[in-house]
Amino acid sequence: MAKKSHGSLSRMSRKENIQLTLMTIPTVIWYALFCYLPLFGIFFAFKDFTPVPGESLFENLFVNSPWVGLRNFSYLFRNPQYMDVLFNTLFYNIIFLVAGIVIPVTLAVLLAEVHQKKFTGVVQMALVLPYFISWVVVGYCIYGLLATDVGQINGLLKMFGADPVQWYQSPEYWRGILISLGIWKTSGYTMVIYLCSVNAIDRSLYEAAALDGANFFQRVRHVTLPHLRTTIATLFILGVGSILNSDFGLFYQVPLDSGALQSVTQTLDVYVYKSLMLQANFSFSSAAAFLQSGVGCILLVIANLITRKIDRDSALV
Amino acid sequence: MKGFIKKAAAMLASAALIMSAVMIPSGCEARNDDGTVRLRWVTYSTAVPADLKEVIAAANAYSAEKIGVTVDLEVQPSEMLNLIMASGEYYDMIYTCEWLNKYDTNAAKGLYYDITDLVKTETPALYETIGDYWESAELGGRLYGVPTLKDMGTEMMYRLNSDYFEGKKGMEIPEFMSFADIEPFLAAYKADYPHKYPLAMDKSGMPGMTNFLERVIGTFIFIPYDCEKPQVMPLWECEELLDRYRLLHKWYTLGYIEPDASAVESTTSNKDIPVRLGVAWRGYQGYSNPETWGFNVKTSIYDGPYISRATEQGAMTAVCAACTEEKAKAALKYIELLNTDRKFRDILAYGIESKHFDYLENGSVLRTKTGNDRYTMALYQTGSVVNASVESVSRTFPADPDQWRKVYEGYKEYGIRSRTDGFVYDQKRKEDIIAALTAIYSNYATDLRTGTSDPDEVIPKMKAEMEHAGINELLHDIQECLDAHLASSAEAEY
Repeated sequence: MAKKSHGSLSRMSRKENIQLTLMTIPTVIWYALFCYLPLFGIFFAFKDFTPVPGESLFENLFVNSPWVGLRNFSYLFRNPQYMDVLFNTLFYNIIFLVAGIVIPVTLAVLLAEVHQKKFTGVVQMALVLPYFISWVVVGYCIYGLLATDVGQINGLLKMFGADPVQWYQSPEYWRGILISLGIWKTSGYTMVIYLCSVNAIDRSLYEAAALDGANFFQRVRHVTLPHLRTTIATLFILGVGSILNSDFGLFYQVPLDSGALQSVTQTLDVYVYKSLMLQANFSFSSAAAFLQSGVGCILLVIANLITRKIDRDSALV
Repeated sequence: MKGFIKKAAAMLASAALIMSAVMIPSGCEARNDDGTVRLRWVTYSTAVPADLKEVIAAANAYSAEKIGVTVDLEVQPSEMLNLIMASGEYYDMIYTCEWLNKYDTNAAKGLYYDITDLVKTETPALYETIGDYWESAELGGRLYGVPTLKDMGTEMMYRLNSDYFEGKKGMEIPEFMSFADIEPFLAAYKADYPHKYPLAMDKSGMPGMTNFLERVIGTFIFIPYDCEKPQVMPLWECEELLDRYRLLHKWYTLGYIEPDASAVESTTSNKDIPVRLGVAWRGYQGYSNPETWGFNVKTSIYDGPYISRATEQGAMTAVCAACTEEKAKAALKYIELLNTDRKFRDILAYGIESKHFDYLENGSVLRTKTGNDRYTMALYQTGSVVNASVESVSRTFPADPDQWRKVYEGYKEYGIRSRTDGFVYDQKRKEDIIAALTAIYSNYATDLRTGTSDPDEVIPKMKAEMEHAGINELLHDIQECLDAHLASSAEAEY
């Protein structure tokens, strides 16, 4: 759009343009520092990083460290469990991807229907709050609930005459626990994004629909959802991009690193952390990170292509 | 215009970052205003004592006057020490040892200053004090670090509530027992308090439980002390260790160990627990302070003392390879002072006299309440333990100030010595296998060492996974290196 109107830019709008550009500077700097500059770290993944103290990072990386090809990746596939690790990572991420759309959208649609400002505010607060609680804290609260002999839940079970459960030794429950916690923590925050989009929809559309006799579900189906399409597509595509990344706090801190739960809690990030506990090996961890972002990047492009085929306006590029 | 601003901003920002990355190494000030040398000294500790700054200031005043050197003492946890080394950050002196920030590995990489000649010419008193123990720092005939004189072997002990076991139950706590002998004590307590757990256990397991084996990789590949010809073996071939795991699992099922032990971070705040474990030395009183526990504690040794290159490398100080000779000299002078001047040593060890501690009549040290609350560093973290005054836990039972002479004589008399002649495996050789094995082991380790899982059930599974990840290749390589090492050191002796 900017290109089209370039020739007819008036003095006023050019000035505005500069102001707007200046406003983006903090963001641009942030991205340059934390997203583009660290890109040279990719070299770590293909080098045997051997620093000499007192020399600069660049000298250490490019002069002092030899190339080793793909050797840094091999530890990821030596473990016979790597298929399980990949499965867990994908399994949770796909669920979070779907639930991360369905639940926040539902919440946003419902909340938008409530016209009592105070009530909406309180609900919104309550939903967003979990996002700001650290996983370590959540982990200990969960421990308070699930501990074998002092936990609240086993206390309840005993009260009703049921046998207490050794939660931290019983992997069968944990997929559910982790998924619920993941949703509990993030959906409020995502909901706010959708709520903004819902609130931005022209109210007269709803009034017109209501006049035409549309009920609540029809209004949601024909007015709200079509308007949310772009937002949903954007968040979905971005979510696909981090399909191999997982929330380390959720999968490591919350189960308190319990050995018996490994089969359901071990995701790629947890596996990398555990492999490198004995060694501070930058090259190995960069290799894992490179794999994650590489796969994420390819999937993101594919998801975007598919989205563009279906609906041009919803695609990112 | 827009593009230009973007580009310019990005370039400026990256330039700033690159500059700072390049500048950091040269950023440290070498000298104070008064001309004394200032050293950045990084040591290991998980907690920073509240009065650290004050104590450092007192120590700096003393050392500046004596040798013209002061330190900025930085206390860092193990991850940070590893990170400092892995990223090539600049420091002057650093804590190094066998179990973190590995001395042999880093010295072999050339990360530490070669002090072989300097220590003899500049600090002869230090050279003499360390004496025979220089051997544990020797690598290819050169020295890259100063061993901290402390307990040089490891002795593992049970720490029991003697008020309860001896006073109330009339049981006798012997000076020595075997690992399994603790069972009747646990059973007695459990019978009295069916809802409590008598054995202290958290997710890191019992401290020092595997110390009766020489560790090669993590706590899953060992060399036993007692075999005629040193033999590398994975944990499933160490029968005694398996027996200990079986015993722990038995105790777990009997309710002597907390059911969620594998998820418990620490049990120190639970003062009820009557049986704890410790790693120390004969005559150590630090576990026996009734004020800390609310009851009297007696210790009973079940393992040791085991002595190997690893245990002798329990704590060391190394100088950065990038140091100037002037700084290296200053660092050695400082370490020398810690090893030879008891008054100076006591400052970093216990704090400021009459504030953090008092001297008792027999020359031992008693920490004050302020000292206990605001300045408790483990002695090995700040330098020589042997040169510091011995700590007593109460005025009524002062510690033997001559403790260390006896401990060191004890090592000569009944120490169980390693036969590997200082062998260290260079983990770089099979780094990827080790990384994969570490991840597999960590899936089973917590449950094994807390007794949660049945070793006869899980170890076969772990074995199969580890074999798939290449443990046999690794074991073979370690054994080859070990044999070569033994052959060459036997040759050197003739």
